[in-house]
Amino acid sequence: MDERVTGELRAICGASAVLDEPVQLLTYECDALPHLRQTPALVVLPASAEQMQEVVRVCAREGLPFVARGHGTGLSGGALPVPGGVVIGLARLNRVLDIDIPNRQVTVEPGVTNLEITRQVAPFGYYYAPDPSSQQVCSIGGNVAENSGGAHCLKYGFTVHHVLEVEAVLPDGSLTRIGSRLADEPGPDVLGLLVGSEGTLAVVTKVVVRILRRPETVQTLLAAYDSISAAGTAVSEIIAAGIIPAAVEMMDALAIKAAEAAVHPNFPPADTILIVELDGPAPEVRELFAMVETICRRTGATTVEVAADEGHRLRIWKGRKAAFAAMGRVSPNYYVQDGVVPRTKLPEVLGRIRALSERSGLGIGNVFHAGDGNLHPLICYDESVPGQAELAEHVAGEILTYCVEAGGSITGEHGVGADKKNYMPRMFNDDDLDAFQKVRDAFDPQRLCNPGKVLPTPRLCGEVPGPYREHPVERAGLAERF
Amino acid sequence: MTVAEQSRPGTSADAVDGVTPRFVAEPASGAACAAVLAAASATRQATVLRGGGTKIEWARPVDVIDLVVSTAGLSDLLVHRDGDLTATVGSGVPLSRLNTTLAARGQWLPVDSAFAATTVGGMLATNDSGPLRHRFGTPRDLLIGITLALADGRLVKAGGTVVKNVAGYDLGKLVTGSYGALAAIVDATFKLLPLPHASATLRAVYTDPSALAADARALASGQFEPLAFDVRAAAAPDGPRWTLFVRFASSPASVPAQLDAARTLLHGEITALREGIETRAWADQVALPWNGDGAVLRWSWLPARLPEVLAFVTALGDGCEAVFTGRVVTGAGLVRLTGPDAAVAAALARARVPASPVGHVVVLRASRALRAQVDVWGAAPSAPAIALKRALDPAGILNAGRGPI
Repeated sequence: MDERVTGELRAICGASAVLDEPVQLLTYECDALPHLRQTPALVVLPASAEQMQEVVRVCAREGLPFVARGHGTGLSGGALPVPGGVVIGLARLNRVLDIDIPNRQVTVEPGVTNLEITRQVAPFGYYYAPDPSSQQVCSIGGNVAENSGGAHCLKYGFTVHHVLEVEAVLPDGSLTRIGSRLADEPGPDVLGLLVGSEGTLAVVTKVVVRILRRPETVQTLLAAYDSISAAGTAVSEIIAAGIIPAAVEMMDALAIKAAEAAVHPNFPPADTILIVELDGPAPEVRELFAMVETICRRTGATTVEVAADEGHRLRIWKGRKAAFAAMGRVSPNYYVQDGVVPRTKLPEVLGRIRALSERSGLGIGNVFHAGDGNLHPLICYDESVPGQAELAEHVAGEILTYCVEAGGSITGEHGVGADKKNYMPRMFNDDDLDAFQKVRDAFDPQRLCNPGKVLPTPRLCGEVPGPYREHPVERAGLAERF
Repeated sequence: MTVAEQSRPGTSADAVDGVTPRFVAEPASGAACAAVLAAASATRQATVLRGGGTKIEWARPVDVIDLVVSTAGLSDLLVHRDGDLTATVGSGVPLSRLNTTLAARGQWLPVDSAFAATTVGGMLATNDSGPLRHRFGTPRDLLIGITLALADGRLVKAGGTVVKNVAGYDLGKLVTGSYGALAAIVDATFKLLPLPHASATLRAVYTDPSALAADARALASGQFEPLAFDVRAAAAPDGPRWTLFVRFASSPASVPAQLDAARTLLHGEITALREGIETRAWADQVALPWNGDGAVLRWSWLPARLPEVLAFVTALGDGCEAVFTGRVVTGAGLVRLTGPDAAVAAALARARVPASPVGHVVVLRASRALRAQVDVWGAAPSAPAIALKRALDPAGILNAGRGPI
């Protein structure tokens, strides 16, 4: 990096906010998808929208590619640095700016964590609905980039349904407001486009979210089944009964085994576990929950365990939310996939995945949001066995093909990022991808804003795809994945 | 092929906002729609996209329209995947027809429209909604996939047929509220909801708007999950009346329980509405701003400012009669102003001063003369919106001059 540019960035953000020592850059080499790595030329940590604007202006003027990074919990390499480029970390933009209970709006800087919003408004009886598994550490800026969901998005939707307005720096360095705290701003829904654009259209500096009244009652049950298809029938019958649960989650035997080994949720022995949660006004939850319980028993649940209290409910969720990380207890390495299928195609696609597991010899655990057909197959392998990492990558790609063939998607919530951009042509044709590129160029004609993500590029020689590896920070014992 | 080869000459029956278009195209497929747009782009024909035509005058008036592209021929597609709670539908399909089909399997697309002929395409292009948005949001919140005909002649898709999907840019959301100024909607895929098992509404009528606002605040912060929560201000023979409507739709035992609990918080003159009477009351609430021939403005406000908004509506009656309907918690509504154009223009100007309690004031319906005289949209498009317009409609033909971009 040109010393002149480094000096200018130091002048803007302060000397300590510009990192260029190799050891400092280590943390920023990858996000939570550690097999994709790249060392940036430098990292800048602006502390205000004005500093952000100045930093982006410098990048635009110098033709330097830049990548905004929240807290690095992304699972698709969306914050993967660009060689010779700048990583703009949001960590110092971490202030809660306004809590407006009467209007149910909270204004935060993008480095504030997802759960912090709920912490701030909980004393007033409110919460922020999107709840990705990483909510204790993931940033709202990252949530906006990825349109994050969570276990409860079946009823409550995704980030895009909860963000009202953002302030953002466009790739030319101009600061703009997109969306509005007031409803019905005239014109196209640019905010709806920006949310989920994976940091390729702008860098947000302020986010206004809406908060919800905490539901009066939450009830959760855990039903054990002998087969995935019986559990699938239960889900179909719940939906057919006109019930929209807050969450419907499923785990298969391998995922149950892993969760049990890691956090001891005391799940019953089963081929498949179904977790159903209802929330809302007490009389409604009481009536519908009884219907759900009846459906579970009728469809052959071997046991139905109703959470007796909040501690019991949290234990069930702990087992579910720990499932990814828990895979490490039963397999040396694993690869998380994020496909989506229409809910009615779940049994068919899961059958194909089981057959694939047997054929390939790799264990595949399944954890999924059954209500919306979002699968998270966890492909187990051992990278010390020659060829297994490549096999795991092939298996992961095969699963995405099944999802697309069933009318689904290659990603439900993790994003395309750098990881799945070369799968995009399985869902979209050249004209579709050209339209995406046009939209992107409208924001970023110089193609400096998070380049190499979302849209396919010819795969480079030596680019190693796929599997889970330890993040350098994890390896150093500084953090644990959950 | 030229535009003329893909269309027929326009007649006075095709007039849009009083202007007879030179040509009218009625493409029978998305590809044909894209082809006629490409031809129109090549020769810079000012083009208006038309669905049911129910909101076609929500625009700045223009003097020349070269081409109207009707979506009437894009009305065959209607796929209901009831097990998945999704449907894919051609943009020319009327919303009412879609909902009749969905209701046969106990589901619906919960979006209100005041207009019987509203098409799915028109609903999306305007992002028009009503009381149901309290629970379900606006059409953009229910849209999960889209096929667009672009001005360069290409047919492209975004999103898909699954409710959870973050692959690619959400072009569907982008075109909601674009009034046909970015691309033509060919078909759309929505997530659906089950029809509620039971429903009932409380109507509370007040003679004092501040009493209504206090009750609205109490109800909004209580443990209720209404389907809709609306306010109305209208004249009665013996003076103005303010009305609160709250609809509970849920399981059979929950509806009366929530109704009884809500009743204890309300101080107006309360009536419980059920079945046909309830259905008619909500249809009236949706239709009310459009009855008669007054001007209709759309505006929004921060929900906590409802008392100021009600006071503002009362003061608007100077020279014209005001009828107001709105959503209590989302802070969005419509006001009908019946009176001379000059009085309506004065009221519009008052609504747009910085100290006004309402914002995003848009003129939806008004005489052509009035729309020519005032700023219909009330705001210039943002820089990203302009850049997107240039990228997707470089010849600037779509909804040319009519706005919002």
